[in-house]
Amino acid sequence: MTALLEVRDLHTQFNTLDGVVRAVDGVSFDLSRGETLGIVGESGCGKSVTALSILRLIPAETGRIASGSIRFDGRELTGLDEEAMKRLRGHHISMIFQEPMTSLNPVLTVGTQIAENVVRHLGVPWKAGRERAYEMLGLVRIADARRRLDEYPHQLSGGMRQRVMIAMALSCDPQVLIADEPTTALDVTIQAQILDLMLELKEKTGTAIVLITHDLGVVAETTERVVVMYAGRKVEEAPVEALFERPLHPYTVGLMRAIPRLDVEADIAGKRPRLQEIPGLVPILTRPIIGCAFAARCPLATGRCRTEAPPFVDAGGGHTVACWEVAP
Amino acid sequence: MTDPALLEVRDLMKHFPILGGLLQRQVGQVKAVDGVSFAIRRGETLGLVGESGCGKSTIGKAVLKLIEPTAGRILLGGEDVTELPPDAMWAHRRRIQTIFQDPYSSMNPRLSAGTIVGEPLENFGLTRGRETTDKVASLFTRVGLRPESMRKFAHEFSGGQRQRLGIAKALSVNPDLIVADEPVSALDVSVQAQVLNLLIDLQEEYGLAYLFISHDLAVMRHISHRIAVMYLGRIVELADKRTLFEAPKHPYTEALLSAATAPDPKRRRQRKRIVQGDVPSPAKPPPGCHFHTRCPYAVAECKVTAPPLREIAPGHHVACLLR
Repeated sequence: MTALLEVRDLHTQFNTLDGVVRAVDGVSFDLSRGETLGIVGESGCGKSVTALSILRLIPAETGRIASGSIRFDGRELTGLDEEAMKRLRGHHISMIFQEPMTSLNPVLTVGTQIAENVVRHLGVPWKAGRERAYEMLGLVRIADARRRLDEYPHQLSGGMRQRVMIAMALSCDPQVLIADEPTTALDVTIQAQILDLMLELKEKTGTAIVLITHDLGVVAETTERVVVMYAGRKVEEAPVEALFERPLHPYTVGLMRAIPRLDVEADIAGKRPRLQEIPGLVPILTRPIIGCAFAARCPLATGRCRTEAPPFVDAGGGHTVACWEVAP
Repeated sequence: MTDPALLEVRDLMKHFPILGGLLQRQVGQVKAVDGVSFAIRRGETLGLVGESGCGKSTIGKAVLKLIEPTAGRILLGGEDVTELPPDAMWAHRRRIQTIFQDPYSSMNPRLSAGTIVGEPLENFGLTRGRETTDKVASLFTRVGLRPESMRKFAHEFSGGQRQRLGIAKALSVNPDLIVADEPVSALDVSVQAQVLNLLIDLQEEYGLAYLFISHDLAVMRHISHRIAVMYLGRIVELADKRTLFEAPKHPYTEALLSAATAPDPKRRRQRKRIVQGDVPSPAKPPPGCHFHTRCPYAVAECKVTAPPLREIAPGHHVACLLR
């Protein structure tokens, strides 16, 4: 079976005063129908730019997809014209962002915004669009949905706004939902509700989800497969259980040891242990990276790591890693 | 306990007016902090955890004397500092310093990093000229920055380095207590680890106390000795961290812990029922126990009687009628 979404050797670059930034530097992955894929990494690793590239939302005045292929349902997206992309966005591929307030229109009611999307893509009459909006608000468990249809975004709480975003994103039954840090701005108890809601709706609608986050806890509890990115490149990919049980790439291992644990008492005889630090800084993306991008910070790095980029090796069970030193 | 607490907060209240209407008259009030008491010992970290609007940052500001409390007392080393005259306030300010979530916004972009860190030293008359430069250089080294970078400007540092600058500045005047408000929330995981390690090292070296404010339960569990959980302006539970995480007694603490995600895929299948709905508006908190609208165990009395914070075991305080 072919994948629903195939990203191959994607390179996305931005022109800045300091030179060309290689924000995404040769990333490939697949997304199957109905699957939840996590893309995880720290600031500047290229995870959000990957998402924006798929939707072709890279601002043309500063950036571009330099090379690579993005195939959705067998169709190449990188060469599509803007009109065709507009028919795709919000219909077959939807996206939700971290801060719903910046994505929702402040002067339109919630009902109008959802109905607009439905009418535009499905060509139904306005009344049917409104009815769909009502149905969607109920689906994302907004109480008193009939009244909420006529409210404006500022009248809603942060958690409710994110529910509205999800309702809008799913209003045309998309095949792919890209969620970029959807719960990062929310409080803990609201985050849990939104994550549970997304997973429940996924079961109901069969929509595949790409969940982009910096939070390993969110990844562990919601995704099935994970792509780990560093400095614009994919360094490891694995089913979620395998990644957390046996992380292979030294960067992934470093990340997991750097996070304080919520679920286990770390203190030894009343003394707080040191967290493992990843020394050094992320490489500057305006300079070409020779060899492995993590080599400068890696405890295992050898001469070869600094001169030759490591290929992806198969560690079995769908677990792949780009590292010279880790024998799978 | 023979040792008096370094900081003691008694029945602290801070109410903000809500202005409205044509004449901007007061139409209501937000009880941001509604009767909070706690103490911090020397060298101890007290964590203050809760969701947005629970009042945790307001407590930090009141302790720093950046806002006037509506009622209640604040004692530092046994001395009441709630209503100090300005000249006496001066010495008090040296003893309590702060670290912010975004240190960049508190740094003058036109001053060199060395000047920024050295300013408090000169302001308090602790050092002058050459002496200041030497002291700043040693502070830079202590927090893991190169002394050569003293000439750089704030924008030339990364986020983690700026937080180190903020720490060096707070540390410069030898405080007893540092109020740290979400100091690692804006940092990436790998950098967060560096800053948390530094904060723990400095605490052990200088005997500093921290009032550590955060929404992140994992960070709290790592850095705190004791933790106070807040909900809508009140402390609902206060205990040493092991008790709080392993035997929480307040339903809200239970809810928070069950809602937090952990880096363990096996945990998702064990997740218990979590609370539903939003936190009510702090301008109109529910009567009785503020949590009763979301509490799975609430009974009729919870809607009318506000539960006091009671000590149910040595050092373990809970505000719940049912426990």
